[in-house]
Amino acid sequence: MTDDTGAPARHGEPIRCHPSIVVERSLSGIVVLGILVMQAPIGGVLPALLAVLFVGLVLFNYRQWSRTTVRFNEADVVVERNTLFKTKKTLPYAKMASVNINRGVLNRVFRTARLQININSGSGATVPEAVLTFGEELAEEIRAGMAERLYGSETVSDEEEPAEPTVAFSPADVIVHGLFSVSTYQTVFGFAFLACSVFQLYTSAGVGGGALVSLLIFVVVQVAPSVSLIAHYYNYRVYRRGETIYLEHGLIRTYRTSFAASRINAVRVKRTLAARLLGRSCIEAEVVGLASGSGESLRPVLCLLKDDAAQQRLLEELVPEFVYDRNPERQPAGARSVLLVRAAIASFALVLAMAWPSLYVYHAASTLAGAAGVVLPWVLPLATALAVLAISYATLVSYQITKFDAGRDLFTFVNGAVDRETVVMNYDKVQMVRVERGPVARIFGVARGKVYLLSAIGGASVSSGYFSEERLGVIGETVMERIASGEYDYRKNRI
Amino acid sequence: MFSPGAGTDGYRRLDRKCMLSMYIDYAVWYLLLLAAYFAVRTYAAGFLGPYHDAVGYGLVLVLAIALVYIAVAPPVFYARYRYRITDDRIDVRYGVLVIRHILVPIERVHQVEIARGPINNLLDLADVTITTAGGEVSIRYLEVDEAEKVADRLNDLIGKMLRERVPGPAGA
Repeated sequence: MTDDTGAPARHGEPIRCHPSIVVERSLSGIVVLGILVMQAPIGGVLPALLAVLFVGLVLFNYRQWSRTTVRFNEADVVVERNTLFKTKKTLPYAKMASVNINRGVLNRVFRTARLQININSGSGATVPEAVLTFGEELAEEIRAGMAERLYGSETVSDEEEPAEPTVAFSPADVIVHGLFSVSTYQTVFGFAFLACSVFQLYTSAGVGGGALVSLLIFVVVQVAPSVSLIAHYYNYRVYRRGETIYLEHGLIRTYRTSFAASRINAVRVKRTLAARLLGRSCIEAEVVGLASGSGESLRPVLCLLKDDAAQQRLLEELVPEFVYDRNPERQPAGARSVLLVRAAIASFALVLAMAWPSLYVYHAASTLAGAAGVVLPWVLPLATALAVLAISYATLVSYQITKFDAGRDLFTFVNGAVDRETVVMNYDKVQMVRVERGPVARIFGVARGKVYLLSAIGGASVSSGYFSEERLGVIGETVMERIASGEYDYRKNRI
Repeated sequence: MFSPGAGTDGYRRLDRKCMLSMYIDYAVWYLLLLAAYFAVRTYAAGFLGPYHDAVGYGLVLVLAIALVYIAVAPPVFYARYRYRITDDRIDVRYGVLVIRHILVPIERVHQVEIARGPINNLLDLADVTITTAGGEVSIRYLEVDEAEKVADRLNDLIGKMLRERVPGPAGA
């Protein structure tokens, strides 16, 4: 239901959000008050005070809701609140990056949806500029109208189903993504605490407090992120229609996200150690203006962990703008020397730091009887030796893996020893280039590059490996040449 | 060339006063470090127990390294600092331990800001901070007049660029 200009229906007419937001906003207060009631001794004036606070909170939220109006005008959306602190927020369609919908449990109960409007701004990139709750149908209607304005004549409706994407994601893919897309360092950290917990359980012959704390850390570091990812990407679906990319997913809270492909500043192909062992990789995009404000990852995932061939197919289908024939170059010999010096310094610092604890544990544990007296004294020296070996291995692998490629329109950094990442960037999206040479790098005639882009979390940088300064200077020079020659079109790269 | 005083390569250097500003700035921080050291030596004996002496020697080492850095860093910073503003780019080279070369296309500049702290105020110096959508870069310790000229020059260049842009559909 849109008018002939593509503006959402009811434009110009002030409307209110769905009244259920009074409940939604009061809920967190109710939880806090509930905990206070349970903790407080029965009797006295406290329960009455808490009840008054609760009623006050509900009345406050009711007043906020009743005095907040939204107007969808010809050129902008105006959110106005006429309470003690008056606000008027104007969001021009021309500046909008995305308009998305997500639905949580309460939204399902009340048959509503959250409409999230994001402006393409680096400073407020992590929170949407407006979050408006409407009835489900009205939210869809408004979103469709606004999407038409943002992305051209394409309408987004449930009736108009897109062509089936060439890559489908099964629940097993979602589970694999949840389990194995978590960084390897995080996994190692989590499992170290699990091992510690098991060891503490074994030695204390019962459930001790220390074992529970370790187990809790394992759950927080390893289990919770995986479960959260599985719930977030459940029923995952991605497709492209014209110049717009659409994402749909979610188990408890459902997400329907869309953004113009031209908004993508860089594409990351990521492979954690576990994913590489399974022959899988995933794709993330750097797109500003997709914040949902609910704390989840802001980088849209264009492909969950999938076999490399499927990932490549999807990459070509979704973002052909970021696919080119690469001719990557490896780091020069000087880089190996710098990496070896760094590894030596890191190993030396580690050995120094571990020397005293190792001696202490050795003396303390060697008096223990049985297996503990044989094994424990050597645990820290062995762990230190293993860590030094790991540093050496990571250095050699990093030297071989790190690559740089400067194409005509795009350039690529390949980084990572354990978890690997290929970042393809567009010269026209580069905001700033920094080349730096540390004291060791200067001796061996190499430098590192840092490219600053507008990213999903505001400004962010992507670092290269060690290459010659002249080679990395090509990035900045190409950016300048494209601006000077007119190849760079500012109209396609509006911030 | 942007203005008189630039070298043959177009790069300009800072005024020598920048060293004085850095020395005063570092001296303030060093005094705070010294205060922390004396506080630890005087009051932390009970808390640190047998490690009190070891921590004390560690802090003395940190103070000695900081003193060497403070003595050496300003002249090195001054000797290495170069900046250049042309019609299409801002180019800054600086660094004491790590030498950095930053390139910002004028096309990407969103905001130009002149800032003066209390020490720079005393010495008539100012920093010009240039913000892009992906981050910011500062041209530091400029004389106030020069900072104003740099900011005006950048604002003129940005204004000229925006005026040249005739609105129209992408790719047209």
